[in-house]
Amino acid sequence: MNAQVAVSPTSLIDQIVVPGDVVLDLSNMTNQTIKLGSGLRQESDAISAMRAGKFSYSKPNKYWVESSHKRYIPRTEDHVLGIVVDYKADNFWVDIKGPQLALLPGLAFEGATRRSIPKFEACTLLYLRVVKTNIGMNPELSGTDASGKASVFGPLKDGFMFETSTGLSRMLLSSPTCPVLEALGKKLSFEIATGLNGRVWVNAAAPRSVIIVANAIMNSETLSATQQRIMVEKLLAKISD
Amino acid sequence: MEGRLANMWRLTVNESKFVETALQYELRVDGRGLYDYRKLTIKFGKEYGSSEVQLGQTHVMGFVTAQLVQPYKDRPNEGSLSIFTEFSPMADPSFEPGRPGESAVELGRIIDRGLRESRAVDTESLCVLAGKKVWSVRIDLHILDNGGNLVDAANIAALAALMTFRRPDCTVGGENSQEVIIHSLEEREPLPLIIHHLPIAFTFGFFNNGNIVVMDPTYVEEEVMCGRMTVTVNANGDICAIQKPGEEGVNQSVILHCLRLASSRAAATTKIIREEVEAYNREKNLQKVKRHSTLAKSEVFGPIVVVKEGHKKSSDEDKSAEISQEHVELKNSKEQEAVASPATFKGPETCSVSSDPAIKGKANDSGDAQKEVTGDVEMEDTPEVTKHKDGEKTLRDAVKPKKKKRKNKST
Repeated sequence: MNAQVAVSPTSLIDQIVVPGDVVLDLSNMTNQTIKLGSGLRQESDAISAMRAGKFSYSKPNKYWVESSHKRYIPRTEDHVLGIVVDYKADNFWVDIKGPQLALLPGLAFEGATRRSIPKFEACTLLYLRVVKTNIGMNPELSGTDASGKASVFGPLKDGFMFETSTGLSRMLLSSPTCPVLEALGKKLSFEIATGLNGRVWVNAAAPRSVIIVANAIMNSETLSATQQRIMVEKLLAKISD
Repeated sequence: MEGRLANMWRLTVNESKFVETALQYELRVDGRGLYDYRKLTIKFGKEYGSSEVQLGQTHVMGFVTAQLVQPYKDRPNEGSLSIFTEFSPMADPSFEPGRPGESAVELGRIIDRGLRESRAVDTESLCVLAGKKVWSVRIDLHILDNGGNLVDAANIAALAALMTFRRPDCTVGGENSQEVIIHSLEEREPLPLIIHHLPIAFTFGFFNNGNIVVMDPTYVEEEVMCGRMTVTVNANGDICAIQKPGEEGVNQSVILHCLRLASSRAAATTKIIREEVEAYNREKNLQKVKRHSTLAKSEVFGPIVVVKEGHKKSSDEDKSAEISQEHVELKNSKEQEAVASPATFKGPETCSVSSDPAIKGKANDSGDAQKEVTGDVEMEDTPEVTKHKDGEKTLRDAVKPKKKKRKNKST
């Protein structure tokens, strides 16, 4: 099976693809199951790319196109940072940088009942989870994890929020820890919440550290791992003297 | 309705609170000091009078055009200067397409006031025929990206575009000497506008009831700040315009402080603009030189043969002497030239044609002669002669072809 996989896709794995590129041919990949991620679609026997980006593969059978955008397309189980816009009919309308506003039911919080719906004023920042993304409907969010516990989700107090591209926020969440955060973490202590929709929230005791962390992250958009480390070191050296 | 809500950019409570608390510590969210300016880059387009200014994330394009119009009745011998702004929804979702919004009108007015009422552009020199025809200069400002402080960026874009703008030269003539003839760019060198000084706008943001002053606010800071003031000054420290919108009252001492800050920065910004414009002009001039030389080379048949004739007629006797003198150096130059212009091998034939008495150095005639020559020439390589001929050609080549070309154009 593995040998077969290696035939056609290896040529394109980790390569840049553009919309319309046929990346996989299913006719010579019979009797195996594959999972398609974002940016790919099936037309009978051909899998083609719908977005420009890097065609990626992860064992055993996942394929997707990795790209970076300013706008976020919601996907289920993504963790996002949303801004409350309005409260209407037991639902919060939340801006998650997507093409539509998302709906956050007032009851989707741990311990929330009809009597005790949490109150968020407009422009509150929330850390949320995408639950439903049906075509033609506004995406639905939740303030709890899958087992109904609040865990990490909920409103974010203080700190500073800034916007990045979706690619950068994905890089910040990657494991092992991305070099910027690692280098910054050695010298500064800070809290960070990254949403896959390209929003990052940072908090620290001193406003100075928040600004350093925020700018270091924004600068690292186009830098390689080593460049990121050098950049952070320079930044920290400048601050210390 | 919902679509617009989704596309709107909004500021969270966290951000606005943080911007204010950080400013208490004299820190700004992008790491600048309170009175630091963002990085300014100026680029120019291919055509005269187009500029692109980037101030941090803010991006503005300026474009200047001019046309002949009838002057205003009360100012019969002055040209006019008008400013138009275009706020595209692409720059910021909050800009609505269609009619200009409040901010668009305000921006246009501030720049207009700074430029026109300080008489930065000499409008009297734009007069062609008093009371009949004057140049009307139009500045279009397109906002391409809104990263805050549009006024300063747009003002610099307008200045840079004005400084690189060239209007076509024109003369008054015709039967009743009331007709205006506009000369094309090729015919006559276009003229720059006369700009007396550069009024530069500086915007200040006020926070915490006017106690904290910040220069060049970003879009995040613009949302949070309680007041704003734009000061237009030039490098000499003259104040050209002040605009203070909003309700927040500001202390007299704070305003004076801002004015001092602005005039101290004006010289530096003026220098940046002038340097960029100079670099652009230099490049433009270099391009011009290049264009002429490539033309001369590509039109091998035209001017080159004529030069030979001209030379022949003028210095038939001297020629032999000259040849012997030039012979050595020409040999070298010929080796190179031969590759670029194979037509130069027509030495002997041109000799015979030009000795024809029917052709007497007139530009038109020589034109015909060329055709004959180039038409029925059979390549005959007599190395010695060609060398001489080519040599002559290459030397004269540098001077004469231009003249010839001009003659052709004027006929």
